[in-house]
Amino acid sequence: MKKVLLTVLLVALIGCFAFAKTMTIGFIPMTLSNEYFITMVNAAKLEADKLGIELLVQAGQRHGSAQEQMQIMENMITRRVDAICIVPSSSQGLIPVLRKAEKANIPVINLDTKFDAAALEAAGLKPIPFIGTDNYYGAEIAGWFALSLLGGEGDVAILTGVAGQQNAADRRNGFYDIISKEEGINIVAEQTANWEVEQGYNVTQNILQANPGLKLIFASNDNMGLGARRAIDEAKKDVVVIGYDAISAALDGIKAGTIAGTIAQFPAEMGIMGVQTALKIKNGETVPNYVQTGSKLIYQGNVDWFKEYLSQYE
Amino acid sequence: MKKFSSILRNYGMFIGFGVIFVIFSLSSEYFLDVYNLMNILVQSSLIAIIAVGQTFVILTGGIDLSVGSIVALTSVSTGLMLTSGISIPLAIIFGVLVGLGAGLVNGITVSFGKVPAFIVTLGMMSIARGGALAMNSGKPVSGLPFEFERIASTEVFGIPIFAIYMLVIYAIGYFILYKTRLGRHIFAIGGNREATKLSGVNVPFNEMMAYAVSGLLAGLGGVLLTARLNYATPISGNAYELDTIAAVVIGGTSLAGGEGGLIGTLIGALLLGTLRNGLTLLNVVSYYQQIIIGVVIVLAVFYDRMKTKKG
Repeated sequence: MKKVLLTVLLVALIGCFAFAKTMTIGFIPMTLSNEYFITMVNAAKLEADKLGIELLVQAGQRHGSAQEQMQIMENMITRRVDAICIVPSSSQGLIPVLRKAEKANIPVINLDTKFDAAALEAAGLKPIPFIGTDNYYGAEIAGWFALSLLGGEGDVAILTGVAGQQNAADRRNGFYDIISKEEGINIVAEQTANWEVEQGYNVTQNILQANPGLKLIFASNDNMGLGARRAIDEAKKDVVVIGYDAISAALDGIKAGTIAGTIAQFPAEMGIMGVQTALKIKNGETVPNYVQTGSKLIYQGNVDWFKEYLSQYE
Repeated sequence: MKKFSSILRNYGMFIGFGVIFVIFSLSSEYFLDVYNLMNILVQSSLIAIIAVGQTFVILTGGIDLSVGSIVALTSVSTGLMLTSGISIPLAIIFGVLVGLGAGLVNGITVSFGKVPAFIVTLGMMSIARGGALAMNSGKPVSGLPFEFERIASTEVFGIPIFAIYMLVIYAIGYFILYKTRLGRHIFAIGGNREATKLSGVNVPFNEMMAYAVSGLLAGLGGVLLTARLNYATPISGNAYELDTIAAVVIGGTSLAGGEGGLIGTLIGALLLGTLRNGLTLLNVVSYYQQIIIGVVIVLAVFYDRMKTKKG
């Protein structure tokens, strides 16, 4: 009797361990050296905890390294995770490892930066569900905001991201397409500052030198916008800055009145929905192929609300 | 005890590698899986192959900072050639030749132009990266033919082809370094340049050859990376120069030149690959992975220093 009891206890104990976590998800943000992805990861962790899911987070050390992400994915496939959520560092560079995942029957969920659907199809891969935002649409919002601030006339400059990246092109195009329709507005400069503060600073110095009458700068991300702000202040000019990404330094800038506005995406929602989608797939439910998590203009009127919203995921 | 310490001195990196291997085997149930061990080989192979050339250069007392950028340059060139319809074998050959060309420019400038290797290859690092970006206006090249991927994804008796490439390159490198005159001269130049010159060796030519080999293998690395991703991007190969230098010094080759060897470099590259793989399996956050890898590099060189001091 004692023996039986002991066995039952042992089995129950092992059972507890085995079923403590319903599933394991591999979570691969682009990097872990960026607030945006840290927010995404933290939200995903909270959600995974709530659902009793084990979350393995791994990121490359170098921004945009397809090879590092490929290795991480291979290692996760070895580890036989139940699903992989990934923010790909390039929209086309991971196809061989996506094939490995498909072969191993591990579903992949695409967050934030979309895989190139045509490339997936050409490679004979099944479509991969995407959860994220449309950068073109977000930049259009920035364009409408710029129009309302300028009152229909003035010189405008655009700081663009890394040449060749899809989101850099989308942000530039979304803003450009709205603003260039207005006849009184001239786009006098369009320069890349490679997403970086320091380059935003240098490039803006040069732009201000060449265009003393500049009224507004749209920086395709907040980092470049913060650099631009410093250059503008040093030159003692009165130029409006609009950014993108809603990083905390930009939100502080909005409160202080140095940055007019920024476009917020909702990385936390992407992380949460990524985990939920993985669970749904595991339970055999069908999931939508494309989910928009939305973009929102953050300005003085709603910056406090947004900061409070963000504080949940710190 | 004395005997033990001498073993430790000569085979330290093997022991270090063994220790790391055992730790991972005990702490992760997924580590000692055939599939995973093959992963480690594949993931280490590119750095290992390029590190052969880096070993040649470092043995002469030089350094090659440009290998990462040459990887990007050859990767984008190969990608563009493939999409423009050039046949796969030709694209591979031309791609490797691009690397060889860059290596030759490095070698000629260092050995005949007498410009310090650090400066020359620092310049080439910037030139090749710029070239890789300019060639396709910063854009990645995709839509490469699927047959091209096969030179990376094929397996021979269950062994991934990348591991075989790696072994072949090491065999050839070993032969050149230990069985040919070029190899002996490379060791001699790094050991004592003046004496080598006085003994009638054509120092500049042999030195140049080391950089040429380095460029050639970086070119090969670029081609192989392109096949592995089936995709070419001008930002690829980032920090490969640091990884290859790390593999070389972990392997016990002295940065002063003249001392060291290829087997150590192979172990160094495998050790780096194993660390990255094992730490990922253990789900160590990437911040700490970087710290751990940094500590290993410094410990390895520290150990090497002790070795030279003692004996």
